[in-house]
Amino acid sequence: MKFNTLRVLNNSLIKKTLVLLFTVLTPLFALAASDVIEPPKEFSISNFDWVSIFTVVLILLMILVIARAFDIGSLTEKLTGKTIVSWNNVNAYVGIIVLILGMIGVWYELNYHGKYLKLGNSASEHGSTYDSMFYWTFGFTFFVFVVTEVLLFYFMFKYRYNENRKALYYFHNNKLEVIWTIVPTIVLTFLVLRGFNTWSKITTDIPKDSQEIEVFAYQFGWKARYAGEDKELGNTNFNFISGTNPLGVAEDGAIKELIVELEGEVAKLKVKQATAADSIKVWKAKYDRMVSTGLNRTYPEDFKAVKDQYNDAISGAYERQLEKDIKRKKTALSRIAEYRKDKDFFNGKASDDKITTELVLVKNKPYVFKFRARDVIHSAYMPDFRVQMNCVPGMPTQFAFTPTMTTEQAREIKGNKEFDYYLYCNKICGGAHYNMKIKVTVVESEAEYLTWLATQAPFVAPALPAAPATPSTTDSATTTTTPTVALK
Amino acid sequence: MSTAALHVDHHADHHHKESFISKYVFSMDHKMISKQFLITGIVMGMVGMIMSLLFRLQLAWPDEQFGILETLLGKWAVDGKLDPNFYMGLVTIHGTIMVFYVLTAGLSGTFSNLLIPLQLGARDMASPMMNMLSYWFFFASSVVLLISVGVETGPASGGWTVYPPLSALEKAMPGSGLGMTLWLTAIALFIVSSLLGGINYISTVLNMRTKGMSMNRMPLTIWAFFFTAILGLLSFPVLLGAALFLIFDRSFGTSFYLSDIYLEGVGALENIGGSPVLYQHLFWFLGHPEVYIILMPALGITSEVISTNARKPIFGYTAMIISLMGISFLSFIVWGHHMFITGMNPFLGSVFMILTLIIAVPSAVKAFNYLTTLWKGNLRFNPAMLFSIGLVSFFISGGLTGIYLGNAALDIQLHDSYFVVAHFHLVMGSAAIFGMFAGIYHWFPKMYGRMMNKTLGYFHFWLTFITAYLVFFPMHFMGLAGVPRRYYQFTLVKEFDVWMDVNKLITVSAIVAGFAQLLFLWNFFYSIFKGKKSEQNPWQANTLEWSTPVERIHGNWPGEIPTVYRGPYEYSRPDREEDFFPQYIPDESAPEVLQPEETQKAPSEKEEETVETSVFFAAIKRVFGLS
Repeated sequence: MKFNTLRVLNNSLIKKTLVLLFTVLTPLFALAASDVIEPPKEFSISNFDWVSIFTVVLILLMILVIARAFDIGSLTEKLTGKTIVSWNNVNAYVGIIVLILGMIGVWYELNYHGKYLKLGNSASEHGSTYDSMFYWTFGFTFFVFVVTEVLLFYFMFKYRYNENRKALYYFHNNKLEVIWTIVPTIVLTFLVLRGFNTWSKITTDIPKDSQEIEVFAYQFGWKARYAGEDKELGNTNFNFISGTNPLGVAEDGAIKELIVELEGEVAKLKVKQATAADSIKVWKAKYDRMVSTGLNRTYPEDFKAVKDQYNDAISGAYERQLEKDIKRKKTALSRIAEYRKDKDFFNGKASDDKITTELVLVKNKPYVFKFRARDVIHSAYMPDFRVQMNCVPGMPTQFAFTPTMTTEQAREIKGNKEFDYYLYCNKICGGAHYNMKIKVTVVESEAEYLTWLATQAPFVAPALPAAPATPSTTDSATTTTTPTVALK
Repeated sequence: MSTAALHVDHHADHHHKESFISKYVFSMDHKMISKQFLITGIVMGMVGMIMSLLFRLQLAWPDEQFGILETLLGKWAVDGKLDPNFYMGLVTIHGTIMVFYVLTAGLSGTFSNLLIPLQLGARDMASPMMNMLSYWFFFASSVVLLISVGVETGPASGGWTVYPPLSALEKAMPGSGLGMTLWLTAIALFIVSSLLGGINYISTVLNMRTKGMSMNRMPLTIWAFFFTAILGLLSFPVLLGAALFLIFDRSFGTSFYLSDIYLEGVGALENIGGSPVLYQHLFWFLGHPEVYIILMPALGITSEVISTNARKPIFGYTAMIISLMGISFLSFIVWGHHMFITGMNPFLGSVFMILTLIIAVPSAVKAFNYLTTLWKGNLRFNPAMLFSIGLVSFFISGGLTGIYLGNAALDIQLHDSYFVVAHFHLVMGSAAIFGMFAGIYHWFPKMYGRMMNKTLGYFHFWLTFITAYLVFFPMHFMGLAGVPRRYYQFTLVKEFDVWMDVNKLITVSAIVAGFAQLLFLWNFFYSIFKGKKSEQNPWQANTLEWSTPVERIHGNWPGEIPTVYRGPYEYSRPDREEDFFPQYIPDESAPEVLQPEETQKAPSEKEEETVETSVFFAAIKRVFGLS
């Protein structure tokens, strides 16, 4: 079995392709180097440009291997007619080089980017539990990772083909197999138990005195709702949502306004329905005119709109859509009417709720975030606090945590005066998903928080003439709701 | 085995004339179908890879303008800057193509078709007709998916998991219109293809093994394909159900997944009572086994290739099968680990966490067994072997991060971050694609009767291996820094902006990886026509497929099907001079007596047809325990 007489194929076509490939690759690497050379704008650690050195060394090594394999090998082979380069050995050596460079790369990366990782210095109480869980897992897996990868490439090198050797005829070893079934089982049991404890603690330990804040997600932004003076959040329903009531709180004035608006829309749609035949005639005429005058070719964009309208009209889609819209709005109206009968639901607690565009929390105070979404699934992600929970339309979710580090402290630790906590969206939700975030500020004392809260307008402004009307309410709303608030 | 009756000798008495269409297009020969799957898979793979390069360009240079993009994509890249909605579409279609079209159909379809009859000693699949249909459904599905990329409102763009309500509401995102309808159509066709294939694989494995090929003499490839087919058969219908519900919600006004929705510009919708989380349960009931549908064939191929090229029996053959069995079983009851933070009951989360981490045990056993197989072997590094070793490396480094993500507590922070992207691209993306490459390099001689160029193979391997690590390894760090996945650009968030240099490194590595695949493509297509002629058994392997002639004939063996005398991994037996001992060569010391009456049946063509159907029903009976 003469296997390792692997001749380097003296195929000129292959060489040409390779030369072509590497002429393409070299500028690419250069491009990589030129972009990578720029140190990060804010955190430059040393004058040494390790990235480019690393890249250059990598390229050199690759070129060396290639050169060795191709030039020396094939030339001498041609001269002597013997196999000089054993590809088998080349591969074994390359394996070792890749392993060493790879491990250096991992180590380098850990050093270089380690400070950006959200590990340690967590800004919440459960965060440190989380981090310790992470370190335990990291310890085990990194150990296994290094040992197995080193063994893999070491075996690859050590047991490379040798004609004079025969592989060990070794089918199985029950003792060995039992050992490496039992050991991972024990380690995993440990991790499972620890994980179980951490998970249960995070998800089910909710202090009784936690403050509730509603975090509301929509395409594409966040809103928070704080309870007003009554310290309780009012009820909500998606049917109540309107331009002036973005969260759909159960507040009578806003609802009345919405009813008027919806009824107006229904009336408008009904008019459209009644005059549908005429509209369709007009659109048809427009379409025919454009086609006959050849305008459809001069203004293809305009014609497309006309054509779509025409198609909808003749296929009956236009009328069906009107019908559907009316039905939907009527359903909404009837549902709203149903809710309004329920006095417990319309308890007036929503009137003084404050809807804000940022979150302000107090250090060491327990919070429960109540998540809602109105259109698609979003996910509230606060990596600094080790918090994440999906916001699902139709299914309220929650996450309880206690912040332990103020924004100021975090800025100091990170050495970055502009640092701010954010809550990001972390579930694909549409085109602007990447820019859906809300600022989170953690302050030192309750007083600071109360000062901030006082600057936020309640949903319904108190009916004092001097008070500035909030954009979300109108005069009619204020006048009708003030008595309810007063009664409570 | 009672399958001796199936040892039909086609060769001697029927040569039907094959037209171009029956030979290359609507072929019922399993070898041709496997090539069809492979080439379609490669084409889809190229499309998926080009898409990934497009969105990688956006991530590395978000403020740059690439004129070429406008030329290529038109209105989706006005002024050479990718549109955010189209970015999402690219991400979605990249995922769909890679998961379903390349790594499910391209991998399992190719090698199950090629190897199940050849390694078991069968003339063809249990039902060649269904096999052909399986390919053509897959082809139709691919075409529909590719068409969906070109529709005016863009392709489906809610991520490859297409969670409703985003994917259910046309007004929520442009891609949720016609693009999503076509996506669902494509997936429905794909599922049909997958089921037709799966039933066929299972019945062939159970019923059509040659004499002597008992279950415990089957190569591990076949075991892997067998379990894969079972997984597919049980889980794909659930996805079909989920997709049907979604179609109903989209078009017929039902509320399976929709509740309490207010849409900007539309108003409150009528739907109440549905649950978006229901879709996620149904989806991941397929979605998780799907991961193993992708990975297990690659592991099977690796077992075969490593053993052959280490000239050493695979270590722990039985343990390998039990691991596969354990993984298959467990994969059905761990889907919840994709949903820890969807708001499902925390207790349910704990249950899924425990089950998920148990699955790490059989996976660990497999990794250790591969290492021990290499230990004291005599390793020949041809490209197939290198790719298999690459697979083991990815399997380890990607598998270990699964221990983080399977832990509900750790998942709170890591869910949907780049850590997840790194994890699954290593353990199922790179590992499976390396398994596929290993298979292609190893069985290319069997498919085309020619050899692929080894030197190019080495370059292909090392470039791909290094760049794959350069692309996916740094993503772990980004994930740990809380960088979310599926973000169109990071420049708007200062905290993520510090990763710009890493993003550039990743993109450049991805481009290099793309060029490395050109090496493969050239090698593949050049070798089909101009490659060196192959010997009958170029790798000195033990398994049955190397006993067939180099010319690929209909019915596989010219004479009678060889009998199997021993397991597939008898390499370097101390009592033999040669370092391999094929399954089909009788033992000189104790030759097994052939039973002539069983092998000499030569039924006519008419009988053949009935045999085919009876095999199919026998398989069904066997599967349901009726016989």
